[in-house]
Amino acid sequence: MKTKEKQVKSHYDKIAHTTVYSLGFIGVIILTMVIIYVTMTGISLVNWDLISGDSQDINTNVYLTESQGQYIAQTNLDDDIYYSKVWGLGFIDSTDREGHAIVEIAYIHPDSPFIMSLDKNNNDENGNPVVIELTEDTAIEKAIFNNFTLFTFYTDGAEVMRDAFDQATQIDDVTVQVVGGGIRGSLITTLWMIVITLILAIPIGVSTAIYFNEFSKKSKFSDLIRTLVDMLTGVPSIIYGLLGAAVFIPLLNATGLTAGGSILSGALTMAVILLPTIIKSTEEALKIIPNDLRQGSLALGANQTQTIFKVVLPNATPGILTGVLLGIGRIMGESAALIFAVGAVTKDTVVLTERSSTLAVHIWVIMGGEAPNYELASAIAIIMLVFVFIINFVVKIFAKRLQKNMNWS
Amino acid sequence: MNKIEKQNKVVFELKNINLFYDDFQAIKDITMNINANEVTAFIGPSGCGKSTFIRILNRMNDLIPSCEITGDVLFKQKDAYNKDFDVIELRSKVGMVFQKPNPFPMSIYDNIAYGPKCQGIRDKKALDEIVESSLKKAALWNEVSDRLKKSAMSLSGGQQQRLCIARTIAMKPEVILMDEPTSALDPVSTSKIEDLINELKNDYTIVIVTHNMQQAARISDRTAFFLLGELIEFDDTTKIFSKPIHKKTEDYITGRFG
Repeated sequence: MKTKEKQVKSHYDKIAHTTVYSLGFIGVIILTMVIIYVTMTGISLVNWDLISGDSQDINTNVYLTESQGQYIAQTNLDDDIYYSKVWGLGFIDSTDREGHAIVEIAYIHPDSPFIMSLDKNNNDENGNPVVIELTEDTAIEKAIFNNFTLFTFYTDGAEVMRDAFDQATQIDDVTVQVVGGGIRGSLITTLWMIVITLILAIPIGVSTAIYFNEFSKKSKFSDLIRTLVDMLTGVPSIIYGLLGAAVFIPLLNATGLTAGGSILSGALTMAVILLPTIIKSTEEALKIIPNDLRQGSLALGANQTQTIFKVVLPNATPGILTGVLLGIGRIMGESAALIFAVGAVTKDTVVLTERSSTLAVHIWVIMGGEAPNYELASAIAIIMLVFVFIINFVVKIFAKRLQKNMNWS
Repeated sequence: MNKIEKQNKVVFELKNINLFYDDFQAIKDITMNINANEVTAFIGPSGCGKSTFIRILNRMNDLIPSCEITGDVLFKQKDAYNKDFDVIELRSKVGMVFQKPNPFPMSIYDNIAYGPKCQGIRDKKALDEIVESSLKKAALWNEVSDRLKKSAMSLSGGQQQRLCIARTIAMKPEVILMDEPTSALDPVSTSKIEDLINELKNDYTIVIVTHNMQQAARISDRTAFFLLGELIEFDDTTKIFSKPIHKKTEDYITGRFG
């Protein structure tokens, strides 16, 4: 009888054991697959140009006054480069970051007249045309030749475009394009968003937690407030986004600083979103500080403020940092609230009082169109992952250093 | 009992002290005097109110909201519970060492300098002197003089407790309260602390709560026996341990209960 019971029990144990192992394994596999998918899809686009590049295409219209004759290519060009001897330009078929076909300049002859092409729309202060120096990797959107009788577009492909250039005797208008799709603006916006949000949220959140934990007497009212703070942690961020759009944007507009959504209104909204998290984690950090330390300080004739700022708070810093870390993750990942409170506009020149998108909103913009661009989205995701990883690493090292001399447990 | 105090200088005069936690009365009508430059030991079984009572002396019970005290506590003839009496000053004159060593998680130097700094002493040289003299008085200087900048948490339990005593000494107190200072320590560390208490007796008034009756017998001049919030007997230590008046005291010190 006894042995039978034992056997049944050991069967249950085995089942439980196997279940835990297999479910744990599935969890790990799923998470790994997500990271592998993102990496596989996006890694080919990740390079310095993506990080430092503009998101908007920059078009410049140039013209030339005359043809100079023939230019023989000085190096052996690859087979896929179509070289126009008349103008000294080599064309190549390519795609931009959004996946559209474009024609890029792959080679410019050192004597090519395009080295000294003129800007059609801008003059310098003396009224003379500005000289534009074309570089390789710029794209050609369209070109008009021979007194507006001959056209070629990027949709023609490199070969047809080369043929058109070879027939041209006079260049009327070439639209050259520095291809966009970079995320520099969004990256900078994200950094600003993190900095401003934390500057707003940390002092308020930490002070609130100190008030709850160190000053306020236990009462029904303070319990109610605590419960409310807990509840606010679970409110969907889009609600806070509405708050941002309905309160912070008009408020900032009223000061005259901004017109419409801005990074500032976004940061204010994010600060509100982070407050419950920071209050909660600071409170947890304050709670684990042994009361002995507070009493030790008070027994030495220190007052409560000295005790809090010199003994309690320094020892709570690692815990507070954990909350801040969670907060940074939340700022990086937030899209819904920011679309409301800032707007979904990718920008290259970041101004705090103007609209701009964080990386997460940038992904939303890319994926929101008619042709979602998985590659670029994944590439941005990789950069976000690396970013979060670096911040985690730095904060952990910092916290560890602080924690070194406080193993009181 | 008052006759015993004789010509000794009285530091604390406690008259008809009652202490309540909400409805629970933890201290029942206790009257006693504590003399200067003596070691006064409080003994009694757990929950008898001796730790609560020692905390009345530096008003640590103020921190407990539900705690209410009646009666007179005179510290050097002044009412320590008077509204005009500065509790910060009281606590710097009446230092306290806790049951569990509780050094601050900072360097040894900063631990000692913490109290003086809170009092507004900023001069580096003055602080250096305070740290050195306090550590010497606490018999810790020889062990830590070469690592003052190291974390206090790297010290052993006994060293930590002596550091806490040094920290208290740094405030130049008149009274040092010790709430079971050796109960978390091994015998070697305990005997070191007991030696230290014998040294400190010359400069300070010491009140010590202890579970260890041998300890009370070894180090104290006078002993108070508490039971269920009442002061049963308070007399010279030799008298308490040789021929106590009360039956309950005798039962306790002979180990019949407690």
